[in-house]
Amino acid sequence: MDRLLLLMTTTTYRAGAFLEAARRLGVPVVVGSDQPQVLAAANPGGNLTANFVNPDEGTRTIVEFSGQYPIRAVLAADDQGVILAASASAALGLPHNSVEAVVAARNKYRTRKMLAQAGIPSPVFQRIPIDADPEEAVREVSFPCVLKPLSLAGSRGVIRADNPREFAAAFRRVEAILRQPEVVAQAGEFSRHILVEGFISGREVALEGLLSHGRLKVLALFDKPDPLDGPFFEETIYVTPSRLPAAMQERTITRTAEALKALGLRHGPVHVELRVNDQGPWVIEIAPRSIGGLCSKTLRFVDGISLEQLILRHSLGYGVESLEREGQAAGVMMIPIPEAGILREIQGQAQAEGVPGIQEIRLTIPVGQALVPPPEGTRYLGFIFARGETPEQVEGSLRGAQRCLTFAITPLDDVAASECAGVPAYVRRREMEKAGSIRSRPRLPAGGSRRSE
Amino acid sequence: MLTISDLAKKKILALLGAEGRQGSALRMAIMGRGPAGFLYDLRFVEGTTKAPEDVVVDAGGFQVFIDPDSAPKLKGATLEFVEGVQQTGFRIDNPNPLWDDPKARAVQEAIDTKINPGVAAHGGFVSLLDVKDDIAYVALGGGCQGCGMANVTLKQGIEVIIREAVPEIHQVIDTTDHAGGTNPYYQPSKGGGASPFA
Repeated sequence: MDRLLLLMTTTTYRAGAFLEAARRLGVPVVVGSDQPQVLAAANPGGNLTANFVNPDEGTRTIVEFSGQYPIRAVLAADDQGVILAASASAALGLPHNSVEAVVAARNKYRTRKMLAQAGIPSPVFQRIPIDADPEEAVREVSFPCVLKPLSLAGSRGVIRADNPREFAAAFRRVEAILRQPEVVAQAGEFSRHILVEGFISGREVALEGLLSHGRLKVLALFDKPDPLDGPFFEETIYVTPSRLPAAMQERTITRTAEALKALGLRHGPVHVELRVNDQGPWVIEIAPRSIGGLCSKTLRFVDGISLEQLILRHSLGYGVESLEREGQAAGVMMIPIPEAGILREIQGQAQAEGVPGIQEIRLTIPVGQALVPPPEGTRYLGFIFARGETPEQVEGSLRGAQRCLTFAITPLDDVAASECAGVPAYVRRREMEKAGSIRSRPRLPAGGSRRSE
Repeated sequence: MLTISDLAKKKILALLGAEGRQGSALRMAIMGRGPAGFLYDLRFVEGTTKAPEDVVVDAGGFQVFIDPDSAPKLKGATLEFVEGVQQTGFRIDNPNPLWDDPKARAVQEAIDTKINPGVAAHGGFVSLLDVKDDIAYVALGGGCQGCGMANVTLKQGIEVIIREAVPEIHQVIDTTDHAGGTNPYYQPSKGGGASPFA
């Protein structure tokens, strides 16, 4: 039987969900990753190492592999694999988005340009080299604005600035992120610039969809009920169905379809974020992949089919048009990281799990490891999942469960450097500056946590 | 049934005395299996906690209670106390095979000879916890616990190797508490960020 090639980096959150979906469908899977799998030698037809950063080289590897183990579809689990998936699909003659469209979607500046050229409402935007002097660059900037890296995910490096002083500080903070070796390795040329765009006020929503040869099937429209007004944009709650008025939901879907068309995306999963205000929906970001982290557990379709099963079925050419989301409201909270430090203890999980409507709580940073909040953080502290009759009930369950959780955190300035693995040196230095360990500055108040002794 | 060395007896009596628990018993049980063999639980208990079905060993100065599930697996075992540079403490020399079931034994052999030598390269190990109804239950430890690729290692490696070695096994279930992994080889990252070893 032909295999499905699932591209995922070794740092993905998505492996379990996709592999379980493949098992349920009985589809043989090849896992293509950027680093060798530890037991790959025992299953050469099930594991493949490919270059994600150089799609041409990665494509050659995949085409050669498919000569021995035929591949029927190529799918990327995360942002990092989408260009390679498009390139390999083109080489193998498999249905997929074009490379050009995916490259455009991976570059937020290019996305902005193409949307604006297509006449889709866009904020003012510009791209500034990270080598620029922010005091000079700010002369061209209007406020409030948002600075963001061109290609990072999960709100990493996204900062709002309301005046030139905040702009300069934010610029240097984003620049520091973009100069991290792992970011340079991951983002390549995209790490050389910062996108600066006008801040769009309003409620944020996310649309999860599936494109079939240019036709958009909306899988879910999520509300994000927590205000995302900055200065950082840590995502917390997603709840579906949306509570937007029906007419605004229709306009949001229409705007999304227009934007996808403008980028040239035609086939496969999409995750689109928009802001909605009195001028209508505004596209914030477009990703040619499914929802990130563990959030997909929120979505369940008829007969208990998972989002990943649905995506795999679609990639293999099976019909998915009749597969609708179950009727219940559902939601997830990406548990906010209260402050930077070493996680010492988590209390209240049993009580949180007992809150009506709560389905599961998954903590994903173990005790003893470092917590880094946005905009630098790259990891989720954990996820709370809830279901209920209405979106209001679901949101209430999520907030109720979060209130039960207490995280004991030792601030970074109180721990030895050896405990700070995974914390960029400049983040630790800033935390120490904040605490007065390097020079005196007032300490920021902590919320939702208690400091451990 | 169970032999207790003279030095082990002496140490246990000293511990009972130090804790003021003269008259207490030692309860011994097999909790499971790990990469180094059986996993044991030893604890002092009150004499009144002896269950009717417990096997009782009189060690001279104290009693040892063994539950009926653990007793056959401790037959012929010796509880020792060793003192050395590399290890000081109680040690159990147990001649019994880890598994009685031939299927479980075959799965264990696949883990010992094909899986653990491989995952050791990432500082990991795999333990067989049980085999029931053609399902093997395993736990991942070390660098595999909490690793972003644990599912891939399980589905694309461990399960393939076990099913190839023991075709009667239809599924391998991972029971690991991955949230408790303190040193995962690959840490998940937002957006499936670049691997730290890239």
